[in-house]
Amino acid sequence: MIKMILRIALVSMSLMLCATAVARPVSYAGGWTLIETSNRASTAGLVHYSPAHNFSVGLRHEWQRASDVKLTAIQPSLLVNRWFGREYQGNLYLTGGLGTAKDESPNNRGSETASFVGVMADWETRTLFVSYEARFLEQGALGNHSMHAARFGWAPYAGDTGELHTWLMLEVDRREHFEDKTSVTPLLRFFKGPALLELGYNLTDPSPLVNFTYRF
Amino acid sequence: MNKTIPLLIAATLSTSAFADHDKHEMKHHGGDQMKHAGMNHDHGAEHDHGSHDHNAMAHEHGDMVMNTATITHTDEISAALSNGGAPVVVDVLGVVCDFCATAMNKIFGKRDEVAALYVDLDKKTLSLVINDGSDLSDKQIEKLAKQAGYRIAAIRRDSEAMGG
Repeated sequence: MIKMILRIALVSMSLMLCATAVARPVSYAGGWTLIETSNRASTAGLVHYSPAHNFSVGLRHEWQRASDVKLTAIQPSLLVNRWFGREYQGNLYLTGGLGTAKDESPNNRGSETASFVGVMADWETRTLFVSYEARFLEQGALGNHSMHAARFGWAPYAGDTGELHTWLMLEVDRREHFEDKTSVTPLLRFFKGPALLELGYNLTDPSPLVNFTYRF
Repeated sequence: MNKTIPLLIAATLSTSAFADHDKHEMKHHGGDQMKHAGMNHDHGAEHDHGSHDHNAMAHEHGDMVMNTATITHTDEISAALSNGGAPVVVDVLGVVCDFCATAMNKIFGKRDEVAALYVDLDKKTLSLVINDGSDLSDKQIEKLAKQAGYRIAAIRRDSEAMGG
């Protein structure tokens, strides 16, 4: 029980320090995951718990920097299917969220009920990676956003268990509410044990990408 | 529209959250994927059929290429074997990254029966050493792998697991 409280406290602190994210939204049964993402649109944190191998529920906090809107939502995610092979794994996830969005800008447009739905799919071997992600967010007067992102990745070597895994990736995203609707971000992914770090830079809409995931 | 999205989420989760679970069970117990074609071990005299539940789980070889990988020796595994533990090698499908290894470590590491374990991404195997006097049946191993989010393709024990 004390361990659980400490874990929740650690995760809450991390959420306050960073913000929200998405990556692999479902873990093993009984597993906790902390995800932080920061890209050209937002900085976000998600902590989720998976009671089963195909379902998780999490708390998401997201700061949409351009509009200075902060979203807090409960986010359930479902692993719809996982395809297995000796050399590959593919996943299809559905996710959603319900919460509130608050305008923190001088415009002070108040708070709105916020909701979103999303889909994520990925396929990977130890040296190749492809993914697609989409999210549709409704925030009433604070703006409705859609996002699509696709990724291609290649690992120059296949790291074994516990070794540092390094990936070269390219992300292409499309956000209708941005001036640069489509943008390209090359990034590096470093993966070791339960921790994953991604560092990139958006070439179209100059801004850093920093993503971090830790699985407990 | 603001109300439709939460409703959609609820409907989706209620209808499909456990559909995969059921499908998963079907795949394992329906028989089609439990073929012994390409069987990579000898069911002759060397194999100890007394130590595990052979009927319950069988050995799923669905889309698996023959794998004869033996146990991976780490310090922990070697020590557990020296203490009389029983070796088990599990071929696991879909193990492509360290998150997969973390999941297997967390799930199997909680079991009292497991003296040592190691997920080998190169071999695509989970090496286990079962404590002397304990047992972890094939069906239990399958269930634990499923909790970790993975599926097993074959299980080798004792001399097969050690490579001879």
